[in-house]
Amino acid sequence: MKYILPTLGTISAVALFAFSSTPQTAIAVEKPTHSETFQQLELFADVLSRVRNDYVVTVDDSELIEDAINGMLQSLDPHSSYVNAEAFRDLQVNTSGEYGGLGMEVTQEDGVVKVVSPIDDTPAKRAGVLSGDYITEIDGESIIGMSLSEAVDKMRGKPGQPITITVIREDEDPLEITMVREVIKRQVVKHEVKDGIGYLRISQFNEKTDESLNAAVKALKSEMGKIPGIILDLRGNPGGLLDQSIKVSSAFLDGGEVVSTRGRNADDTDRYNADRGELLKNVPVVILIDGASASASEIVAGAVQDRGRGLIIGMTSFGKGSVQSVIPLRGGRDGALRLTTQRYYTPSGRSIQGTGISPDIAVSYAQDDGKGNKRMRESDLPNSIRNQVEEELNKDAEDTTAIIDYPPEDYEVEDDYQLQKAIDILKGGTYAKLLASTPG
Amino acid sequence: MRSLTRVIGLALLVSVFSLSSPNLTAKPKPTKNAEALQKLELFADIFARVRSEYVDEVSDKDLIDKALNGALETLDPHSHYVPPTDFKESQKSALREYGGLGIEVTLDKGLVLVNYVNEDGPAYRAGLKKGDYIVAVEGENILGKTLNDAVEGMRGLAGDAITVTVRTDDNDRDISIVREVIRSRAIRHRVEDGMGYVFLETFNNDRLTRDLERALNALKSEIGGKVPGLIIDLRSNRGGLLDQSVSVSGLFLDGGEVLSSRGRKPEDTERYNAKPGQWDADMPIVVLTNSSSASAAEIVAGALQDRGRAIVMGRRSFGKGSVQSVIPLSNNNGALRLTTARYYTPSGKSIQGRGILPDKLVALRPDTGEIVERFREDKLPNALGNKDVSDYEEQYEDIDYPPEDWPLTEDYQISKAVELLKSPEYKTLLSQYNTRP
Repeated sequence: MKYILPTLGTISAVALFAFSSTPQTAIAVEKPTHSETFQQLELFADVLSRVRNDYVVTVDDSELIEDAINGMLQSLDPHSSYVNAEAFRDLQVNTSGEYGGLGMEVTQEDGVVKVVSPIDDTPAKRAGVLSGDYITEIDGESIIGMSLSEAVDKMRGKPGQPITITVIREDEDPLEITMVREVIKRQVVKHEVKDGIGYLRISQFNEKTDESLNAAVKALKSEMGKIPGIILDLRGNPGGLLDQSIKVSSAFLDGGEVVSTRGRNADDTDRYNADRGELLKNVPVVILIDGASASASEIVAGAVQDRGRGLIIGMTSFGKGSVQSVIPLRGGRDGALRLTTQRYYTPSGRSIQGTGISPDIAVSYAQDDGKGNKRMRESDLPNSIRNQVEEELNKDAEDTTAIIDYPPEDYEVEDDYQLQKAIDILKGGTYAKLLASTPG
Repeated sequence: MRSLTRVIGLALLVSVFSLSSPNLTAKPKPTKNAEALQKLELFADIFARVRSEYVDEVSDKDLIDKALNGALETLDPHSHYVPPTDFKESQKSALREYGGLGIEVTLDKGLVLVNYVNEDGPAYRAGLKKGDYIVAVEGENILGKTLNDAVEGMRGLAGDAITVTVRTDDNDRDISIVREVIRSRAIRHRVEDGMGYVFLETFNNDRLTRDLERALNALKSEIGGKVPGLIIDLRSNRGGLLDQSVSVSGLFLDGGEVLSSRGRKPEDTERYNAKPGQWDADMPIVVLTNSSSASAAEIVAGALQDRGRAIVMGRRSFGKGSVQSVIPLSNNNGALRLTTARYYTPSGKSIQGRGILPDKLVALRPDTGEIVERFREDKLPNALGNKDVSDYEEQYEDIDYPPEDWPLTEDYQISKAVELLKSPEYKTLLSQYNTRP
């Protein structure tokens, strides 16, 4: 008796389909799409039932379907994925507070876990894990093909517990890195007075960023009195929450657009504006970015650049300009769908996706290696979403970064050439002139 | 529109699933099925949302293709969906031959590793070596791609050139290779220290058995009479046609079982027997295997070992003991290449994941103090397992290594095979193995 129900459902649903598409000419256009979809779903069901009947061992249907879902989503882009119910619960817990682990932001592409960025002052950073590293093994066990949440679970553990990960880096042999897990304290905003200039470093955009930024600016004001110039360091910052990027931008912008997100349809466009009452009004600003500055970092840099509010110094950013919506499925009981639904656009209408933000002044941290210090970027990821006007923008990007200012040969890496350049510009009186010459 | 698609999708999937298991009511497993139905609903839900909400428009066909391969590739490394265009191409060859470059590749730590280079192929002539990594095809980085996607880029028509970026010991270089149809000599023979020696490079040749018979006759005339002992070298033989493995085994067995393939249900079992009559029943035989001896090669080694016809020497074989069926799908939807059975040796041991363990473990290279890890089937991600979980690993202390000053030009395994064929130990060993349980 139990099984009659779905069969009845089938008949009525098929009937609904037939009726809805035949009589009206208005829907006639969509008919081919319907039948194609129908055929594709039929194919899917056909294959599943054959696997179910003929595979050499009994297969768990649920697992099979879950693998199909993952296969489908991973083919879309590196950021779309299915979050199972358990991981969805974790996700909700995770965006707030501290966790034990290694201290890196990771993503996944085609079944391989990739480091977006190690977080400052954590085991990962100290052990030399680099942005762009691929993690292939944890404690000697391959994690290729494992879901991101499973892999992250494996990396987490009790503080004090050692772990060995195998990483693959471009042009190098697999490398084993051993480190000890610890509770990751995320100091999101650091401040310092450097050579008479206010220095702010934001390591990521979580819900504490805005609050910490206000506190840091307050502290700088009390230490320095009037702030003659500010450096906002977003290097290595993998991003985070969108609303935090708006709030951070509001420290430099008095209202007006920061970013817009645009989806497939025109009515999917959302515009985000800065709050009124600029925290650092009239203070000259230099933002430092590099190839590991992604997402929310790129929004801030893009807005400040487009609005002519400050100078961007460093190297072209990562180019992660897509928005993922977390769509709970059946109220979260079935987990959630993390789906790329929109792209970010800077106030002047540039899409960040793939191309990133090009600095106004290209300054390299490392010495010239003859490759233009090329790093792995979003556009290098397999299946990365293309920028719609990518080619022209690429040309632009190449033009502006064609002349890169490299540190002299005997320059010590610890002296941070990019930061030094920023200080020089803010103190040397060239800031205003340089700012005026930028297109923003 | 969205909810409509969803309802249709769901209803359809539900109907196919309930129809495909007619004995559902006879033997109900309500919880399992309920869970599967729920997952199907989830799939339809996600499919519909991706169609309507993804940042760009995506084709249904691409989505389903990727979904299918996502599901199939996690089953095992040999099951996958073959889209209609590829299907026609693959119908031509019994074994998937990669692009006519004459190489076989595998995924290792996210990179594509060359694990076999055919000496008669264009890749070999272009300087590609076993152990090289392929990092890009036509300038496109393949790091992080699935093996199928990576290999896809290497396929093409004979005569077309392809550029691959090869990494050897950290150095990248571009190699241009013209794809060609590879016709290899499947058999080489010679007299080795008074003994007959045949090297079978592949089973992917429908004239193999005939050529082997010719080689045996040639050996007979070169030796000038009875062949006193035979070495069958199956090292690095990646397998090929099943019927050739049966007929090759049949040359040395007087009827009886060579192998069986067994699926999930008892009625799926198929037995393959040797033809009656054999080539010189008294001639001692040593079969050489290594970790790259796979599939059909393992069938031959397993049959001759189990039936007490030969001593297997060398290293544990690859362990590819699964059978793939190519199932054409309706509506010109291509085909499904699905693992449907496992191979079993005559004594009822499954080859899958375990391979054939030689009677005498002999190494090719001198001792390094530990067993050097070899790449085998059980190292593949999602490899299909074996019901027999007893220990099958080589034991370090059982391995006969060549002395340190053994010249590189001399093949230690062949010399040990000759030695065994000439020694009375052969008979002792064989009788020992014949009485094993």
